[in-house]
Amino acid sequence: MMNGTTIKSGLSGLLPWILPALFFLTWIIVSGTGLAPTYLLPHPETIGRAGVAYIFGDPDQGAYAGRFLSDARASLFRVLMGFSLAALLGIPLGILSGRTMVVRRLLSAFVNGLRAVPGICWLPLALVWFGIGLKTTIFLVALAAFFPIYLNAAAGARSVDPLLLQAGAMMGVRRLRGTFAILLPAAMPSIMTGLRLGLGIAWAYLVLGELTGVPDGLGAVIMDARMLGRIDIIVVGIILIAVMGRISDLILKSALRQLFKSARRLT
Amino acid sequence: MKPRLTVVSQKAAPDVRSPILEVRSLTKVFRSAHAPVKVLADIDIAAAAGELICILGPSGCGKSTLLKILSGFIRPSAGEMRLNNRPITRPGPDRCVVFQEDALFPWLTVAENIAFGLRGKMKDRKAARQEVDRFLSLVGLTAYRDYLPREISGGMKQRVALARVLILQPQVLLMDEPFASLDALAREEMQNLLLSLWDQLSHTILFVTHDVVEAATLADRILVMDKNPGHICAEIPVTPDRPRRQDEPGFIRFCRTLHDGLRGGFSERNFPGWP
Repeated sequence: MMNGTTIKSGLSGLLPWILPALFFLTWIIVSGTGLAPTYLLPHPETIGRAGVAYIFGDPDQGAYAGRFLSDARASLFRVLMGFSLAALLGIPLGILSGRTMVVRRLLSAFVNGLRAVPGICWLPLALVWFGIGLKTTIFLVALAAFFPIYLNAAAGARSVDPLLLQAGAMMGVRRLRGTFAILLPAAMPSIMTGLRLGLGIAWAYLVLGELTGVPDGLGAVIMDARMLGRIDIIVVGIILIAVMGRISDLILKSALRQLFKSARRLT
Repeated sequence: MKPRLTVVSQKAAPDVRSPILEVRSLTKVFRSAHAPVKVLADIDIAAAAGELICILGPSGCGKSTLLKILSGFIRPSAGEMRLNNRPITRPGPDRCVVFQEDALFPWLTVAENIAFGLRGKMKDRKAARQEVDRFLSLVGLTAYRDYLPREISGGMKQRVALARVLILQPQVLLMDEPFASLDALAREEMQNLLLSLWDQLSHTILFVTHDVVEAATLADRILVMDKNPGHICAEIPVTPDRPRRQDEPGFIRFCRTLHDGLRGGFSERNFPGWP
């Protein structure tokens, strides 16, 4: 069928790929013709080869070969720990402050004050407190992920339709069950948004935490490769972090949808 | 497709001398920024078990506030409320509310919404399921049990709202203009459904409305409210058998008198009534 609609839908299917394609084309031209020296911008093929070696290679094949699994495992563990900590604190506190005037007034000035501090400022202090490594990274990740989780949970809890809570009350639902059976599901879309934003930020602060000289992790690999002038490995690291961030977001989303009716039916 | 619901049998006349719900000199004053506003003054109501009372009044007369106080969401400023001789202090499943707006839980299906209040009350899972099925068929929604509220019409939502409270077997059903947002056809259907359910389950119903025809169709007794401050200005017994045909001369005449009375104010507390 060669009518206007099919052409249009074909074009709109292509639309998201136009810019990436142009980007790669420019990249290939720039580094293939030598317009940019390869020590600043390696050819995509070099990067592809470095990536394959990093992920699938044998450890004795080269400096970074085959390190991906152990790096990814280390990074994933730090992200998960920090993110879980943030969620465990952020969701209950957020719900509480969204529903209770006292808690809201108690927390809001403090939380908003802390939020104004750029996360990177905590790095020197965290290094002094926790030393280089796991604890510092988890601290930074948890701190950064806490704010979006807390704020969205609070906003979600505050905007729950009071009619739903009244309906629950007249059906004989008391406080505790009301919280879990009405408040949480009704606030679920906001909570989910907060968790997803928090997870995204968690990956950003993971790299910050790992830049400080830990031996493993994706952030550490990037920093290490800079010292050794391996631009290809830096780019590979960046791409892998982006991919892992995206995949973890998808997993989080589908896990929430699996676990909660409200996440499945309201978002 | 859906069977028209009409009432066949008639119940005995309600006994007003031993009321199940009693309200005495209920007053509500709202504190506003400028001055206190009296929204309800000296409300007296006595509802017999199984009686269907319509509270009819113009918007702003405090009839919704009265219902909110009776359901326990708002505290009265003064006065007494008793259900079965026990004072009313907080919301509870003995006085269930059907709200005007859609107050279903949007993340639960029709059947789950109806089952919501049963959880914690009925331990036996199988019996609870049967009960849900019974009420689904009572309101004619068996085919829609797995639909979400956003997937069904306004009339169907109000059926679910009705079923989810009736299943709790409340002593009094408080209805706050529940059919006001429906179209005329759906409203008539819901009125018939309500009458048929009332006939089967014999609840005491307090039905708030501003619609003269609705009050004349449903009520055993109409309490007319007026505003500034909200008070009951007339009490009108309505005794004709149901179903009441809305094109009958007597019905039309009665509605007209009600309408005129609402407009001009009822001069005396005891209005002639119908017939």
